Amino acid sequence: MKYEAVIGLEIHVQLNSSTKLFCDCPNRPGDEPNRNTCPVCLWIPGALPQLSQEALEKAALACLALNCSIQPESAFDQKVYYYPDLPKGFQLSQHHKPLARNGWVDIVGEDGRIKRLRIHHIHMEEDVAKLVHEIEGKTPISLVDFNRAGTPLIEIVSEADMRNPHEAMEYVKTLRGQLRYMGSAECSLEQGTLRVDANISLRPQGTDELNTKVEVKNMNSIRNVGDAIAYEIIRQTECLEKGEPIVLHTRLWDPEKRVTSPMRGKFSGPCVPDPSVPRIVVTHDWLKEMQGRLPEMPGQKTERFLREYGLTPEEASNMSLERDLSEFFDAVVKQDLPPRKVASWMTTHLVPALRDRNQTIRETLLTAERFARVLSMLEKDMINAHAAKEVLLRLLSSKETPEEIVEKGRFRQVSDTTELEALIDRIIAEHPSDVEDFRKGNAKVMGFLMGLAMKASQSKANPKLLKEIFTKRLN
Amino acid sequence: MSVRGWLCDAGSLALEGFVALEDATVVTRLRNAGAELVGSSRMSELGFGLAGDTATRILSGGEADIALVTDTMGEARVAAAGSGVFGFKPSFGIVSRFGLVGLVPSMECYGILGKRLEDIMDTLSVIAGKDKDDPSMPDEGFPDFPVTRKPLKMPCTAGVIKECLDILDDRECKAFRTGLARLEEAGLTIREMSLSDFDLFRAVHNVVASVEASSSAGKYDGVRYGHRSSSGKNWNDMYLNSRGESFGSLIKTFLFQGAYFQFENYPAFEVACRNRRRLVRAVGDLLGHVDLLVFPTRRREHDAARAATINHIYDAFSLTLPANVTGQPSLHVPSLALHSGDDIGVQLIGLRLEDSPLLSIGLKFSSTAQGVA
Repeated sequence: MKYEAVIGLEIHVQLNSSTKLFCDCPNRPGDEPNRNTCPVCLWIPGALPQLSQEALEKAALACLALNCSIQPESAFDQKVYYYPDLPKGFQLSQHHKPLARNGWVDIVGEDGRIKRLRIHHIHMEEDVAKLVHEIEGKTPISLVDFNRAGTPLIEIVSEADMRNPHEAMEYVKTLRGQLRYMGSAECSLEQGTLRVDANISLRPQGTDELNTKVEVKNMNSIRNVGDAIAYEIIRQTECLEKGEPIVLHTRLWDPEKRVTSPMRGKFSGPCVPDPSVPRIVVTHDWLKEMQGRLPEMPGQKTERFLREYGLTPEEASNMSLERDLSEFFDAVVKQDLPPRKVASWMTTHLVPALRDRNQTIRETLLTAERFARVLSMLEKDMINAHAAKEVLLRLLSSKETPEEIVEKGRFRQVSDTTELEALIDRIIAEHPSDVEDFRKGNAKVMGFLMGLAMKASQSKANPKLLKEIFTKRLN
Repeated sequence: MSVRGWLCDAGSLALEGFVALEDATVVTRLRNAGAELVGSSRMSELGFGLAGDTATRILSGGEADIALVTDTMGEARVAAAGSGVFGFKPSFGIVSRFGLVGLVPSMECYGILGKRLEDIMDTLSVIAGKDKDDPSMPDEGFPDFPVTRKPLKMPCTAGVIKECLDILDDRECKAFRTGLARLEEAGLTIREMSLSDFDLFRAVHNVVASVEASSSAGKYDGVRYGHRSSSGKNWNDMYLNSRGESFGSLIKTFLFQGAYFQFENYPAFEVACRNRRRLVRAVGDLLGHVDLLVFPTRRREHDAARAATINHIYDAFSLTLPANVTGQPSLHVPSLALHSGDDIGVQLIGLRLEDSPLLSIGLKFSSTAQGVA
């Protein structure tokens, strides 16, 4: 029998608000242990939680960026469980009345078509403390670091609309892109600021049964999300084929061994309404103000790039993927440069250079204006592509102007025909057998000769002129 | 109640040795108004009931003018009834709970005890009002305290709930009728009304309060403060043993009960919450027809200080807990409902946030009461 996978994702995202969710302590979990604490996040008797407006706004903006409707009224519940990372005995979370419902993101499916994936709801909750287990030494001890306790999270619960690992990975990517655009969260799987739990079940293809699901946790990259789901689909298929029943449980992805294995059942406690945190009642004006803060989102941007700049769909989507880069692209194009050329230069030269340097565009000295000047010099044949790339790389960390770099580095393109003719004649004279080959019909030799000429000019020759002269001389 | 630097064990081994880190808002405001804090009295475990509570002894001994006690189900009013003083529970939400070591957040508040009602009024006008540290308080609608000193507009109608009288025995009934007669002498018109759901108050309080208590007391794990058991192989054992050794049997039973509703019978808790809303509406409707409601304060043969089971404690507080369920202000006036030596007390109950008119009615009986206290 052929099976179809039904996949739903629960994603926890750490908001980047300046304070924790219910107190004024800095939202910096990575600081020296237990530095960012107060009676509220230590849950000392007598303390009362106070909902941070900033965290609420960041959460609401995240919901809007994922096309959810903010609910007119939402409220916090106490999710009861007892574990050393939660000495209060309950976690404040929105179980019964979440902040937002009914969202969606569009992804490109495996067949290349747009597929809309629905989001069931998004709720806010506080993170718990971090446990550090020191197992070496005579007596193993467990330490509790409260820096993370009470920091703001949102949990994004999808509908079970995904059918294969590709869709799940695209969903996470798109969602991450939207949230980063909004500026509500850093969303790094590697650093744990975005955590994905996948619920996977199988059913015979063509039916709409909802079968017992298995939850998989601990994927620390988007690739691992795909791999863990793929593994789990194979594992469950084998179970079904052997006639073994699927039981509801949670499994842990092992990124080293690349398998999932069952983990001890997590106890899930009840949720009772919290009497101390006031209900969140959203006014029309507040909602309008939040909507007004939404930037142009990637989808809208892609469409505009297609329409106004005539990019191909792939270029348009690449240029809108990250907010900083897309704004950079927009600014460069506005300096009167051909959009497709700018897009191609960013994709083939700028983005890889940033990746090599492990920097964001903001962290470099390159501005849209400086980048535009390099490209216009290229447009005007003042430098060739090779030189342009060199100048671009230097601009990332140099305060010099593009013109100064061109002058000092003697990057100016050689377009003097007499100079080039002399150079070409010399090469033709030095390589008679290759010339012979070319004349016999081996067109590839032209590339070889061009390469020699470019090298002899220290990469400064105008390639268009070189080719013209070669063609003239050889025929 | 937290007073910075003072032991704050809330009558429980679970908080043994815990010293408050901050002043409660109430403490800050009292100090700023010139009050002197003379000391803390003993309280029942986590403020639930009155076993071991010594607040009224301090008043009787003349060591203080005012005592504040945690009122979760009527502790302030029932304690007052036992020692012939006034006891007042303000409307829910008008006094900051910041610094209160809570057990039942949606029902508890500071109850105020005093020989003179004027002292209670002064105290309330100092401690009530919006506090940025307690976001659960309403933004507006706070009682206008100067109004309390104005003479009350007469005539005034007081409602008596028939179903509330039904649970009293003969002697209690006689005592309460004496009290009602005194109210009529003072110019109040008494009107009998019916609230068929009256017996739900007790069940609603029992279910909701125990669930909230179970959550609130979850933090007492004996790790950072309080009694920590020396036995146990792992952290789970350590928690279980510490909590088992810390809590007394009454509070333990109550927490067990709350956990039962949380884990095993959540629908019952939801029913209780719905009934609570229904009761709030029903009492509000009654108060649309009369200016205030009058209840007795306590049962003659149900001693709150000796209640050792959940049933006993609910018997002892059955007449005061309705105001905790609805969040209404309630004033116990002593020495009115007297019969053969028993003062079962008269409770005046007004609309939520209407603390001022209620207290001004009480003021009519202030001199009466003082003579006896």
